[in-house]
Amino acid sequence: MDLFLQRVVDGLAQGSVYALIALGLVIIYRGTGHLNFAQGEMALFATYCVYQLGEWGLSIYISVWIGMAIGFAVGAATERLLVRPVAKKSPFAVFIVTIGLFQFLNWLDGAIWGDQLLPNSGVGSEQSQFPSLFPDKDTDFITIFGANIRIQWIGVFALVLLVTGLLFLLFNKTRFGLAMRAVASSPDSSQLVGIRTNRVLMMSWGLAAAIGALGGIVFAGLNNSVSLGLMFTVFIYGSAAATLGGFDSPGGAVLAGLTIGVIENLVAGYAQEWVGQSLKLGVAFLVILIVLMVKPSGLFGTQKVERV
Amino acid sequence: MKSLVTIRDGGAAHWAIRIAAALLVVAALFLVPTKGGNGLITSSTEALTLMCAAMALNLLLGYTGQISIGHSAFFGIGAYTTGICVSRWGWSPWITFPLAFVAAFVVGVIVSFPASRIKGVYLALVTLALALVFPNVLRWPKLAWLTGGGPGLPNKDSQVQTTGFDIGRKPGQMRHFEIFGWDPFGDLRSLDAKTAFYYWIAAFIAVVVYLVCRGVVKSRAGRAMVAVRDNETAAAVMGVNVVATKAFVFGISAGLCALPGSVTAIRIGSVSPDIASLTIIGSLTFLIVMVIGGAGSLWGPIVGACLYVFISDKTGTWANDDAIPALLRPFFAWSKTPPGGGIFAVLLIALMFVAPRGIVGAWKQYSSRLVRVVPRPVGMTAPEALVRESGADTTDTTGATGATNINNT
Repeated sequence: MDLFLQRVVDGLAQGSVYALIALGLVIIYRGTGHLNFAQGEMALFATYCVYQLGEWGLSIYISVWIGMAIGFAVGAATERLLVRPVAKKSPFAVFIVTIGLFQFLNWLDGAIWGDQLLPNSGVGSEQSQFPSLFPDKDTDFITIFGANIRIQWIGVFALVLLVTGLLFLLFNKTRFGLAMRAVASSPDSSQLVGIRTNRVLMMSWGLAAAIGALGGIVFAGLNNSVSLGLMFTVFIYGSAAATLGGFDSPGGAVLAGLTIGVIENLVAGYAQEWVGQSLKLGVAFLVILIVLMVKPSGLFGTQKVERV
Repeated sequence: MKSLVTIRDGGAAHWAIRIAAALLVVAALFLVPTKGGNGLITSSTEALTLMCAAMALNLLLGYTGQISIGHSAFFGIGAYTTGICVSRWGWSPWITFPLAFVAAFVVGVIVSFPASRIKGVYLALVTLALALVFPNVLRWPKLAWLTGGGPGLPNKDSQVQTTGFDIGRKPGQMRHFEIFGWDPFGDLRSLDAKTAFYYWIAAFIAVVVYLVCRGVVKSRAGRAMVAVRDNETAAAVMGVNVVATKAFVFGISAGLCALPGSVTAIRIGSVSPDIASLTIIGSLTFLIVMVIGGAGSLWGPIVGACLYVFISDKTGTWANDDAIPALLRPFFAWSKTPPGGGIFAVLLIALMFVAPRGIVGAWKQYSSRLVRVVPRPVGMTAPEALVRESGADTTDTTGATGATNINNT
C-alpha cells in the first residue's frame, strides 16, 4: 500500500510535467490546427536560460518568471515570423518548419551550453544541482499511510492544478479567452466580428510556449539537471497525453497527462523485470497508437467530421 | 511560361541528356576513390549511406505523402540484422543484406496497417514515438541475448567474435575480397584498401537503392503512390488499392532503409543503440537531407546528402581554419558543438519560404524556362501537389500536366 501510494504520487508529479507540455500542444492545436514538434525544445531553451540565470546567482523564484517570459517570446516570435508565413503554403511546410526549429533550438542549446549534463561541477558551475521550485532535500517528505511522499512531488502536482485553474479562468472569464475560443471555433467568423485573429494566435503560441517552459523548468528540477536530450521523451509523453485527452481539450490534456504519468510509473514499478526503465516509453507509444487507431478524437476531444 | 527549347520525353535529345548524366555520375563515382584521399573517400561513403536512407524515406514521404520520423528504426533493423547474423552466428556479411531488406520489409508492412488509419502529422507523431522507443527496445534486458543490450555487439558473450564482421583486424577474418579470382582491393588490413572497400560497398548499395526507387516511381505502383499522396479519396475512386499501396511503400521504404544500416554496421564493425543514425537524430537527419535536396524527386536525396556531408565536414573545422576570413571565425568558434546542425536547421526553414520543393525542385522550376521535357501523353506523372505552390508553371501551352518533370534521368 505504501509503495503503491508512493508510486502514484511520484507518477502524478511526472504526469504534471507531461500535462504542462500537453497543455501547450493543445493550446496551439486549438488555435491553428498545427502540432508543434518544437514544443519540447522551446521549453528546453527556456530551461537552459533558467540554469544560466542560476549561475549568475538569481533565485529560482525570480528566474522561473524570466524563463517563462523567454518561452513566451520564443513562442510568439515563432508564430509571427515562421509559422504564419508558411501556413499559407501547406500544412506540410509548417511541419517541416517546426522540425527545423526543433533541430535549431537543440543545436543552439548545445552550441551555448555544450552537450554534457548541467550543472556539472567539472565545468565550474556555481550550483550543485538544477534549482527546484520546491523543497527537495532528502529530508523533505511527509509520511501518509506509511508512504514517504516527497514535498516536491506534491508541490509540482499542486502547481499544475493551479496552472489549469488559471487557464480555465483565462479561457472562460476574460475577453482574451473568449477571443481565443472564438478563433478556435471559427477563425473567419471571428475575424469578421472584429477579433484580431493574428494577435490572438501569436499570444496563443506564446502562452503555450510559456506553459511548456514552466514544464521544462519543473522537470529539470525533478531531475536535478538539464541536458540536451531532456525533453525528447517528455515531448512524447506530452503528445501521448494530448492524444489521449483529445487535441482540442485542455482539461482532457491535464487529466490524460496525470493518468499517463501514474500508469507509466506503476507499470515500470510493478513490471520491473519486463518493462522497467528501458521500456517505460513504450507505454506512451502504445497510448498514442491505440488512441489514434480506435478513437482519434481522444477521450474529451470533439469528433472531427470530415467532408470528402 | 514559354521555354526556349522543348524536347520530347523519350526522344533522342532526352536520351542524350540521360546518358550524359549517367556518365557523369559514373565518372564521379570512380574519380573519388582514385583521385581523392582517405578523408574524401570516407566522407563520400557517409554521403552514399545517408543518401540511401533519404531515398528510402523519399519513396514514403516525397512520393506517397506519408510522414515518417521513424526511419532510424528501419535503419537500425538493418544494422542489427547484420550485427546479429555476423557476430552471433558467424554468417557472411554479404547474405545479411537481403536478410536485412526482408526483415525491415516485414516490419514496414506491419507498421503500415496502423499507419493506413492515421494521417498527416499524427502519423509523424506515431513514427516519432517509434524512433524514440527503438533504441530502448535494443537496450531491453530481455532481448539482450539477441541484441547484446546496451553495449551492443559484438560483445564477450557472442558465440563468434571473429568472422568477417570486423573486416581484416583479427585472425580468421576476411582479408581479401575476390570476385572470380580478381582481387581489386588487395590486403584489406591496410587502411587504404579498407577505406576503398567500404566506399565501394556503399556505392554499390546506393546504386541499387537508386535503381529500385526509380523503378518503383516510374511503374504503375509509383503512379498509384502519387495518386494516394495527392488525393487519397480520388485515388481510391480511380481503383487504386490505397491500403495495399501504403503497405507496399512502407515495406519497400523500410527495406531500402535497412540496407545503408547494414553498410554502417559493416563499416563501423560493431552495433550499439548509441549509434546516432539509430536514434531520433538519425531520423531527423534523413528527413532534413531529403527535404533540403527535394522531396518527391529522385535526385533530391542525392543532392541533399552530398550537401549535408560537405557542409558538416567543412564547418566542423571552420573555427580554426585559416581559409575562412578572420572576421567570420569567431562566429563559428563560440559554438561548443559543431555548427552543422544549426546551419542545416536554418537552411531547412529558409527553404520552406523560398523553395518548398527543395534544391532539386527549385532547379527543375528554373531550368524548365530553358529546356522543357514534354511528357508522353500516356503514363505521365501527376503534378507534385505535396507542397502546393502559388500557381507557378502549372499552365503550359501543350496542356501537359507534368511539364515540370524535366530531366528525370
